[in-house]
Amino acid sequence: MTSANITANRVRPLTLVGIYAVLVTGALLVLGPFILSVMTSLKTPQQLATESKLALPWPLTLENFERLFSGEIVDFSRSILVTAGYVGIVIVCQLVFSILAAYAFARLNFPGRDALFWVYLSTLMVPAVVTIIPLYLMVSELGLRNTFWGLVLPYLFGSPYAIFLLREYFRGIPQELVDAARIDGAGNWLILIRIILPLSRPIIATLGIITAVTHWNNFMWPLIITSGPEWSVITTSTASVQTQFNGNWTIVMAATTLALLPLILLFVAFNKQIVSSIAITSFR
Amino acid sequence: MTAAAKPPVDAPSANAATPRTSTPGAPGPTGNAKTSQGDPANHAHSAKRAKVRATVAGWGLVAPSLFGVAAFLLLPIVVVLWLSMQRWDLISDPTWVGLQNWQRVLADNSFWKSMLVTLGFVVIVIPVQTLLGLWIANLLTKGLPGSALMRVIYVLPWVCAPLALGVVWNWIFQPTGGALNELLGTHVQWLSDPAFALPSVAAVTIWSQVGYVSLFFMAGLAVIPSQVIEAARIDGASPTRIFWSIKIPLLRPTMFFVLVTSIISSFQIFDTVYGLTPQGGPGGSTSVIAFKLYQTAFRNYDVGAASVIAVILFVLLVLITLVQHTYFRKRMTYDLS
Repeated sequence: MTSANITANRVRPLTLVGIYAVLVTGALLVLGPFILSVMTSLKTPQQLATESKLALPWPLTLENFERLFSGEIVDFSRSILVTAGYVGIVIVCQLVFSILAAYAFARLNFPGRDALFWVYLSTLMVPAVVTIIPLYLMVSELGLRNTFWGLVLPYLFGSPYAIFLLREYFRGIPQELVDAARIDGAGNWLILIRIILPLSRPIIATLGIITAVTHWNNFMWPLIITSGPEWSVITTSTASVQTQFNGNWTIVMAATTLALLPLILLFVAFNKQIVSSIAITSFR
Repeated sequence: MTAAAKPPVDAPSANAATPRTSTPGAPGPTGNAKTSQGDPANHAHSAKRAKVRATVAGWGLVAPSLFGVAAFLLLPIVVVLWLSMQRWDLISDPTWVGLQNWQRVLADNSFWKSMLVTLGFVVIVIPVQTLLGLWIANLLTKGLPGSALMRVIYVLPWVCAPLALGVVWNWIFQPTGGALNELLGTHVQWLSDPAFALPSVAAVTIWSQVGYVSLFFMAGLAVIPSQVIEAARIDGASPTRIFWSIKIPLLRPTMFFVLVTSIISSFQIFDTVYGLTPQGGPGGSTSVIAFKLYQTAFRNYDVGAASVIAVILFVLLVLITLVQHTYFRKRMTYDLS
């Protein structure tokens, strides 16, 4: 902090103006498309066509959202529900199964453990784009194409990356705590639930947020495994609004606003956690 | 491997229900009679039981995730190799065609074009976003008021759905009725002119990733000891000189990390491309490799050829990752709090 203050004091006034000019311009460039999306979604097509694209929406209208929810072409309210269900179930299952595996890797000594962990780590190299075609074949063979379970199936059983992060965290918990509980006769379940989990709340919250962001934004898998409005998630619905309301940009921007808004709110609420979670998720 | 060879000393600590009976220190004259009954044979028996229990518990706990890893990460690699030697149109049964798909894809100009497009994309995105990220990080670590808020704003696009952002930018780029041309007073066909389409997609990608990249440089800059910089300042070095002669060399590990991870993710770009150019751009000018793969499998129903592309992409990305691991053994930690 002190070194930062020293630095700040040493910046000459003119340089300071220059730095702020750059930073504010950058921030406006970053925020611009978000603001434009919201503004345009509140305009009538007439206003968009006749006035400047940068004009404030007046009179405000919700007709674009009403048309999205009317089920006229896409059923956006259903998409939101499907997405919420998909994200919710993936978060719960992925966290539970990842926690179980991470506990075994961190705290149990069983034959084959290290080799198995090495296999898990090596799967971090497998890119999603590469597995998408075989997954389509496998899920289709199970008769789950264009179903909710087909949509969520590949993500339910825990993620190697979450397991890796949880294992690191679990290993940092003092062994004495675990030993003390064992002497008191606690088994694995009690140790996991009463000691490990309460101490691991930050990493679990972080992983929950990461999973929510990843799957709310997921596009390629829903795009290929679902078809039609029935199990369409918010990203695929937005894509089909773009093609089907071609040129009706006020409606398209209503769709993008709905797709972006929940994450913007999540980000505003948890920006510290998200920013620091980016740090841990990105090095491997 | 090592754990399987012999029961390690601390194996009993993994045993939940009978922590004391299996403690190796227990046997002997002073052994705890209450739990081990002082009987070596009995003790050996319970130690064995403890090992069995730990094995059952361990494998039982990893079982669900092991199923997931095996079925949805490892099996697909085998299946995609198999599919690359099949003719399949998503409807009828796959038929074996040997290496025919491989010959077709490797002789296909549009495949090589998409490789070139991807390469062009990477060549535009990586240097620009790295330099911009470095520049912003340098400005944001000067300790000026408002830096924390700016950092949050800059990261925002990275959290949002690339598909939705692509669609928003698609509108902004519209030749008539788009915000960009109105703002600039131009009539550029940003997305339908082959010369502009790929740079436009690259620009949106850079726009959404710069803040994220700058986070890592900020973390890298934060760990540079302030004494080093102070010393240089006292010796009369200018801020520019300090940046190039001290900060940049000390940022080398961060730089390498940022470059490799962003190259890997750039090779997989799909959502942004789909949002901006749902048809792959004029003349396939934005048809990057992941888009080509999608198009080949799910629009042209040529799954065999698409699987060949998937295998090639996989090999390419594994090679890049291996390069990363060779030069980057030590894991880095970043404290961005």
